[in-house]
Amino acid sequence: MTNSTNDLPQATEHRLEELEHGLFTSDLSVNEFLLIKEVGFHPVGLVMGSSIYHTGLQTRKWSQSQELTKLTEAMYNARELAMTRMEEEAAELGADGVVGVRLDVNYYEWGKDAAEFIAVGTAVKAEDGVSRLNQLGKPFTSDLSGQDFWTLRQTGYLPQGLVMGTCVYHIAHRGLGQTLGTTGQNVELPNFTQALYEARELAMTRMQDEANRLGATGIVGVRLEEKSHQWGSHTIEFLALGTAVTKTSEQVTLPKPTTIISLDN
Amino acid sequence: MSVPPDEMPEAAQRRLQQGSFSSGLSVADFGACLDMGLEPVGLVQGFCAMHWGAYSMGVLGRGVPPFAAAQGGYVQNYQCPHNMMTAEHRSWGQNYQQGWIEDAWRTGFNNAYSRRRQEAQSLGADGVVGVVDAQNPLSDTGVVEFHLRGTAVTLRDASASSTPPNAAPSSPWSTFLAGQRLAKVFEAGYAPVTIVTSVASVRMWSYCITEFLLDGNNVPWANTTGSSEIHQVVDAQNQVRDLVRSRVRSSLHGDALLGAHLEVSAREVAKGDFEFQSRLSGNRVRRFKEFEPLGVPRATVRLS
Repeated sequence: MTNSTNDLPQATEHRLEELEHGLFTSDLSVNEFLLIKEVGFHPVGLVMGSSIYHTGLQTRKWSQSQELTKLTEAMYNARELAMTRMEEEAAELGADGVVGVRLDVNYYEWGKDAAEFIAVGTAVKAEDGVSRLNQLGKPFTSDLSGQDFWTLRQTGYLPQGLVMGTCVYHIAHRGLGQTLGTTGQNVELPNFTQALYEARELAMTRMQDEANRLGATGIVGVRLEEKSHQWGSHTIEFLALGTAVTKTSEQVTLPKPTTIISLDN
Repeated sequence: MSVPPDEMPEAAQRRLQQGSFSSGLSVADFGACLDMGLEPVGLVQGFCAMHWGAYSMGVLGRGVPPFAAAQGGYVQNYQCPHNMMTAEHRSWGQNYQQGWIEDAWRTGFNNAYSRRRQEAQSLGADGVVGVVDAQNPLSDTGVVEFHLRGTAVTLRDASASSTPPNAAPSSPWSTFLAGQRLAKVFEAGYAPVTIVTSVASVRMWSYCITEFLLDGNNVPWANTTGSSEIHQVVDAQNQVRDLVRSRVRSSLHGDALLGAHLEVSAREVAKGDFEFQSRLSGNRVRRFKEFEPLGVPRATVRLS
């Protein structure tokens, strides 16, 4: 497999050929499956993309808060590769979109500084034959469950893509002078506030940039995740993730909920 | 950031000017908001990194009037009834309010709150729903980060009967609630005003009887045989609850508090030296119409 991402492994092609003959696989629950059928989509297959990426090193200044751009790029590219490969599998199946996408990062003992980025989801196709591909002509992706997908459709919105923004940030260590200067006081540390603000806002801005490229009107279900991976406690990846959506209908058909009282124990 | 809390960082301004909305709401909450006539306009957030330490006068401070006494805070002394004067015997104890911890917490929370409100105002929002707040240690730097975020919304048609009225027109209202919970509050005739959160902190230096009882020692001459209440701990627990409740009550200005959540934690700083902290948060709401009873709920039984 090269970085061009256009060539899927042989095993994948063989599996997809089988799926093209009508058999479908999916990791949807039965309820999710029924709800997706209810809004006019049919699962066509479980699709996935993977990328094993060497994340490398970047020097960081001990006493300076700064973005580690090389690591940011690495985390971003690796996820993009996994996502793109998953989208290619979905496109091979003629799918309009992928729901329930999970993006995971795994580390293995055999690969120092290497991580496997995996994207897995269920490809779906509209039953009315009308294309629901996104503005870039690709199957839409989303991390929405079957229930969320059904609810979103009732509000007149359609997913355009799982969008993300990342920022790997090094948080400065505090020098002796700084530590002594605040001993005995509980006070705000403006430099730290600024650094964290900057890191999260950069991640969110990048996520919104992706949504804008898809012509989306908004992003729902935004999650902000923070992980140090294997870099130590002062280097944190801020990841913003959500589903970009566009409004396809002004009509909100969400039924008024019924109040219930459970008689179960 | 030159720290005025109302000054929004450049990175935030850049993001909020982009146009498309982002929302931290789940799809179900998003749908319910649209149904109520609330349009999400952006995910808004505020931060404050605080240098944090549980400072006290430690062992050397025993016998010195605590800061709380000078500040008019809660102080209660406990005198040993045994007339024993040895180095090991705790001849007196004290509970006292740690006003400086409460002040620092308030500074951190208020700065984050103001910055989040500033972001909402820059979007022209009428309110912020689904507020989440957290205080987390930042790596091993001795820094605690206050983080508040929520989804800013505008009222699509303020005159529509399904739309909550703006109970705080001077600045965006805020609530921890979102989705159907918010819808039900509105149906019950309440409109959100703001989130309310406060903490209280009480330090307890044990005296001899408290120490014996906490150690599980039954010493006959100390009148600690059998089961008995540990008065000093009870006093500390009650005070830390009362303090936070009275503080929140004074911030309601006649409005109601819904969805109140009270947490009390205890931490042993050193042997016989405890810190009790309580935190009360909830939604300040204002009545705008008479209560209309909900429809009779349908009884359900799960078959799975």
